[in-house]
Amino acid sequence: MNQNHSIAKLQKDFIAKKLSSTELTKDYFKKIKASKTNAYLALCEERALKQAKTADEIIARDGERSFEKQPLLGIPLGIKDVLTMDGVVTTCGSKMLENYVPPFTATAVIRLENAGAVSLGKLNMDEFAMGSSNENSAFGPVIHPTHPDRVPGGSSGGSATSVGADLCVASLGTDTGGSIRLPASFTGIVGLKPTYGRISRYGLIAFASSLDQIGPMTKNVDDAARLLQVMSGADEMDATCAPNSVGNYLGKLKDKWSWSGVRIGIPKEYFVDGMQMEVEASVRESLKKLESLGAKLVDISLPHSKYAVATYYLVSASEASSNLARFDGVRYGVRPQSAVEAPDPMSFYKRVRANFGPEVKRRILLGTFALASGYYDAYYKRACQVRRLMKNDFDEAFKSVDLIASAVGPTTAFKFGEKSSNPLQAYLMDILTIPASLAGLPGISVPCGVDAEKLPIGIQFLAPHFEEERLLQAAHSFETEVYHAI
Amino acid sequence: MLKVDQAWVKKIADLARLDLSDEEMKKFTNQFEEMMKYVDAISDAKVDGVEPMIHPYEMELLLRDDVPDAPFVDSEGKPKVLQSAPETLYEGYKVPPIL
Repeated sequence: MNQNHSIAKLQKDFIAKKLSSTELTKDYFKKIKASKTNAYLALCEERALKQAKTADEIIARDGERSFEKQPLLGIPLGIKDVLTMDGVVTTCGSKMLENYVPPFTATAVIRLENAGAVSLGKLNMDEFAMGSSNENSAFGPVIHPTHPDRVPGGSSGGSATSVGADLCVASLGTDTGGSIRLPASFTGIVGLKPTYGRISRYGLIAFASSLDQIGPMTKNVDDAARLLQVMSGADEMDATCAPNSVGNYLGKLKDKWSWSGVRIGIPKEYFVDGMQMEVEASVRESLKKLESLGAKLVDISLPHSKYAVATYYLVSASEASSNLARFDGVRYGVRPQSAVEAPDPMSFYKRVRANFGPEVKRRILLGTFALASGYYDAYYKRACQVRRLMKNDFDEAFKSVDLIASAVGPTTAFKFGEKSSNPLQAYLMDILTIPASLAGLPGISVPCGVDAEKLPIGIQFLAPHFEEERLLQAAHSFETEVYHAI
Repeated sequence: MLKVDQAWVKKIADLARLDLSDEEMKKFTNQFEEMMKYVDAISDAKVDGVEPMIHPYEMELLLRDDVPDAPFVDSEGKPKVLQSAPETLYEGYKVPPIL
């Protein structure tokens, strides 16, 4: 990974005239076109080069001061294809939307662009963000940045590979049950899922509205803080975007963080059966190092974790079945000729919706079932009750600890096809990331080691709602004082 | 325990407006049998009196004033929402006749 391509370093180079944003942007397009990773689905060359040129002009005129007003000025980013951009095809990794050109731009993207960022293009993903390996994209799988026989994780697989292979400085992903954190862990980068409501979901094509959250995927924690800083805060276009004040995420990283007295909860339920030994060993070793720096490791229990995957799949599939009902071939999306010739509305819808891939169909079916009359109480409603119990577990735990730590995924990146024949096995990859999603908590994945095949391992830190400052400070300290010090 | 068979999957698929091929029907039925066993695990959770949580936390929903924004229009003043419509007629969506 090209650590020189951190935001702070690049902006220094812009000022020193060692590099211009235009040169950097052109270089990225060259690399993207030569790459065999299938990370990008669409490029916005005209838009990006215009943004880069403007950035160069501002930097030439205002120097260092330009970054005060526009902290991401001249920085090329990749955007997951679940986020709308005015005039740019947005497919969600689905045949259903292969020709969809949204009329508006997602708030998160607007804020990045207003901060001076350059949008390189749209990143491949599992169809409608449903998957853990990026093998569910209608436009082909994404290849792992360093191990071509492996998946990059999902659903933000393109976002992970593009950062891991340095096909952008940083990217946006979205996380519903682990879709930022798992691919970040698989590809050895940093992935932050903020608190639910921290970043506006306006322009994020919904999978599960009570879980979906946008977040940065970056080469280091400092970059993650920079992106979060720009994107956070209330938005009148999203009623569920929280009015809570935005922290000083970047500024706080400069404060000296001491692990002395920091209580880290280690949930006993999170060292699960079937966990790869090297993953467990690497996480435990990292925790020991934090202990040697003064942290206090506290054994905790999150007793309802055993229901996490079942609860998540019922809740998220239910919301998905409702959200994806909008794809009816009337206002947007693909309307095949067979649908035009349909004898009745029922056949019309069915022929349009044949464009969904198998994983999307499976989840729509599961959700339709869980919401159906006669099953609602035993499945959807019960899952929502268990969800509260899981959140209560976290509330209780955070009374006695400051952070919670665990592995991100039970294994490192697996091979193509290894889990795709058995959906349940694939779902279990999210077992360590799902509980925080259900509770709406912020979580971050930071590299902590590699296995025997040099595949990256990630450690996950979780914090209470809206405690991103603490989460980023801890992750930054871990990254610089523990991981890079190994 | 719920009995998962092809008739059950067909019924749910109809509700979801999905047409499944014979092959999909067979595959999904098998996969659902396994998945239902797994999700049925929540039936032993003690949830009596627990308020269902439909959102991650109780939050105040911010509503904006009900004032229309400028419409999304292209350079010719045509509504941009129509640019991805499968078929349009004048300034509206066109659908096949259904009667």
